[in-house]
Amino acid sequence: MTDFDAIVIGAGNAGLTAATALQRGGARTLLLERHNIPGGCATSFIRGEFEFEVALHQLSGMGTEKNPFIMRKIFNDLGIMDQLTIVEERELYRVVMPSKVNKEHEIDIVLPASIKALKKTLSAHYPEESENIEAYLTLCEKLSLECFMMLPRAQKMADQTVLESTCPNYIQYGLTSSKDVLNQFFSNPDLKTVIAAYWCYIGLPPKDIPFCDLAMMIYAYAAFKPCHVQGGSQAISSALLESFLNAGGKVLFNTGAAKILTENEQVKAVQTEHGDIFSCQHIISNTSPQHTFNELLDIPTPTQVADDMKSRRLGTSAFVLYLGLDCTPEELGVTAASNFIIDDRDEEVAFTTMQGIVDPTHTMVTCYNYDDPSFAPQGKSTLSLLCLQYSQAWQDLPVEEYAQAKYDFAEKLINHAERVFPNIRKNIEEVEVATPLTMMRYLNTPGGAIYGFQQNTQDATMFRKRIDAISGLHMAGSWNGMGGFQPTYMIGESTARAVLKKIKKESEMKQQELTHA
Amino acid sequence: MPSTNKKNNILHAVNGYQDALDHQQELLKTGTDYNEQNGHVANTIASLHPKRIQLVVSEVIEDTASTKTLRFKAKGGFLPPFQAGQYINLFVNIDGTETARPYAISSAPQQRGFYDFTIKHVADGFVSHFLLNDVKVGDHFQSTGPMGTFYHNPLFHGDDLVFLAGGSGIAPARSMILNMIKKTSQKIHLIYASSYEADVIYINELKRLEQEHDFLTITWLISRPTENYAGRTGHVSAELLSELLGNDLETLQAKMFYICGPTSFHDFCAEQLKQLKVKARRVRIECNGPPKRPETLAGWPQNLIASDKVMVTIHKADGSQGQFEARVDEPLLNSMERNGYSAENACRSGECSLCRVKILKGSVFNPAEARLRSTDEAYGWCHSCVAFPTSDIDVLV
Repeated sequence: MTDFDAIVIGAGNAGLTAATALQRGGARTLLLERHNIPGGCATSFIRGEFEFEVALHQLSGMGTEKNPFIMRKIFNDLGIMDQLTIVEERELYRVVMPSKVNKEHEIDIVLPASIKALKKTLSAHYPEESENIEAYLTLCEKLSLECFMMLPRAQKMADQTVLESTCPNYIQYGLTSSKDVLNQFFSNPDLKTVIAAYWCYIGLPPKDIPFCDLAMMIYAYAAFKPCHVQGGSQAISSALLESFLNAGGKVLFNTGAAKILTENEQVKAVQTEHGDIFSCQHIISNTSPQHTFNELLDIPTPTQVADDMKSRRLGTSAFVLYLGLDCTPEELGVTAASNFIIDDRDEEVAFTTMQGIVDPTHTMVTCYNYDDPSFAPQGKSTLSLLCLQYSQAWQDLPVEEYAQAKYDFAEKLINHAERVFPNIRKNIEEVEVATPLTMMRYLNTPGGAIYGFQQNTQDATMFRKRIDAISGLHMAGSWNGMGGFQPTYMIGESTARAVLKKIKKESEMKQQELTHA
Repeated sequence: MPSTNKKNNILHAVNGYQDALDHQQELLKTGTDYNEQNGHVANTIASLHPKRIQLVVSEVIEDTASTKTLRFKAKGGFLPPFQAGQYINLFVNIDGTETARPYAISSAPQQRGFYDFTIKHVADGFVSHFLLNDVKVGDHFQSTGPMGTFYHNPLFHGDDLVFLAGGSGIAPARSMILNMIKKTSQKIHLIYASSYEADVIYINELKRLEQEHDFLTITWLISRPTENYAGRTGHVSAELLSELLGNDLETLQAKMFYICGPTSFHDFCAEQLKQLKVKARRVRIECNGPPKRPETLAGWPQNLIASDKVMVTIHKADGSQGQFEARVDEPLLNSMERNGYSAENACRSGECSLCRVKILKGSVFNPAEARLRSTDEAYGWCHSCVAFPTSDIDVLV
């Protein structure tokens, strides 16, 4: 018998979810984590009186207690739903485009978190496009339903007539460039920019995002509400770990995987960085495929995997300022938890600035205690300023210049945000700066990528063959699906389900062999 | 070969499906399998934040009768950059006990040929005694990379700085002062308190720097002067601070105060600044080890006396267990180390959270130093460097 049925490498969202589901499903599971705390990017850290959320901006897929959606079911099945205190956000986001000449913003709009109110708000701002808004959001809703329900069914049946009769919107718009669809529906450039602001959560400009992804985001956030969790995403990570331990799972912190050992292209064991070897039937890797196959695997990367990677491109990282401010959200002028501050209506301009360490044009400001005061000490505010950014320019810096470059860019980010929230700098009580190299340090991802590979159309699962070159080695994380919280929790859960099925089958086969023998 | 499986053939009916497949073929031709990047992530991170540095003692400098500066060079030649004020955690093996202590780097960040650590003798100090008496040139050590948040942060600290140093708390101040030599905009007022005249560390160097540079003002303070001492005596009181820095609240608020010294010095200085109505956001206090007498702190369980002993049961992930007895007033990490168990650690003051362990059964006392995350206590997680067992406990390490 092997030491474990399954070993999970990495306690990020997908790893934690997979480990918990596996152990609760009866598989003897070992979870390895190179850091001292579970969560990966789903974590928090303390500075002074403040606890900073590292990565979660708006949790999707929860729904409300009355109108629950899939994530509640998943958290329930993982045994943690009753441990979490969910905070619903009232708004989707505010978009501001400051004027370059005076104090009047060129764009300033707050979108409410409800389909009906969203249509109303947008129509009030852009009355000449009110019919287009209605049509667009109706399309987003229909498309979301098709993607979620009908498309998987048609694919399972492999029946084109079913596809054609049940997924007409998907056929027409699903894989179309989001920019084309926006142009088709709207003429007001402000409106196009405002309604597409969630492109930031994917990290590619609308031109490169299949419309189904953008449509599902705005629809699902509006219909099922964006959420925060009290205690931050660390509360989810800690609850998952607790559930895993309570089910009998074993965890090793400060213990990275050093080697995946195989025999005849079948996984045999994992060797840790401390030299211990644990045998197992299955490995679920929550780390990047580059690290898994090119660095951990004891044999050359199988062609199947190498080719899969060749058609992928590294996704973006991010520069984040975590700010503890000695003033309230009201004093700061916050009117929505999530804010996009932009200098250009064209998202492709943002994508260009993301490549280097230059003046940011699109930033995000999240105020965590706007919807729930428990997210900051009394009378204070917890904020994050974020700018998507690739890491190359940071990697090219001499190490001596790193700290200064970090502060210089942080200044730019504060200046950018202060045109909307003027009193940030003078109220700073605590601040921590995270560059793309910080992401690299804590996530161990190539380029410090936060969403895995670039999520253009062809990157999607439907264009990919399941990686099965090494028997028993399974990938789970943003690298082989979408990035973000909901997708990584879901891929962890579905990977565990598939592995449990395999384990069951294997043990049935063994049983049969025994009876025949 | 990234391609689609059979059931997806129906997707050819979808607009854009073929385009995406074509795009994939194009990318495949020009893409990479990323093998050329092997080791790159690890090397990049190691150049900024190495987990361990191999050090060798290159010089032992006698500062005062009770203080030495140990100069360390890197075995491999490369020392990572740091921000003046940061510390490293130095691992030591003393008669078989593996432990560690954090030390501020007292040398300047501009030169990375060596790191200086200035170590003062601590009464009953297990590690300081060893470092001061047993270490010689050529000895090998291991440390963490530079860490900590006690440094000048240009985003909000401003240019008007005040450093309140007590005893060996001067170590990070020295690094910060040396770092300011070429920065024209900043000025710093160092208020340096020592118990005895003979205890004053870097006295000649600091006096010379003050003479040579306008940015530096030093006020020397002796709390237990000899009869003939002519300089200032006493403590870093609110009155003294008002006298030296002025009473104007706005001017005081514009300054950034750094406090580093023994815990009692921290508490005293922080209280004085509070009296002067200096806001918390203008004060930085370096962490400084676990509380010495936890039984005197608010929240300590009644009926529990410092000399009480409890049984600690260690559960390792491999299923093995071990047991030892520990005093309730000793930090859990220390008693674990004395008994041959370890947890990763760095600040040993409750702040960095590296020594996080889970209490499976029983209870611990978490003092204010323990900067726990809000959900930690609900699940029994504590920072073992400042956690005191208040009953028999079971610990998952």
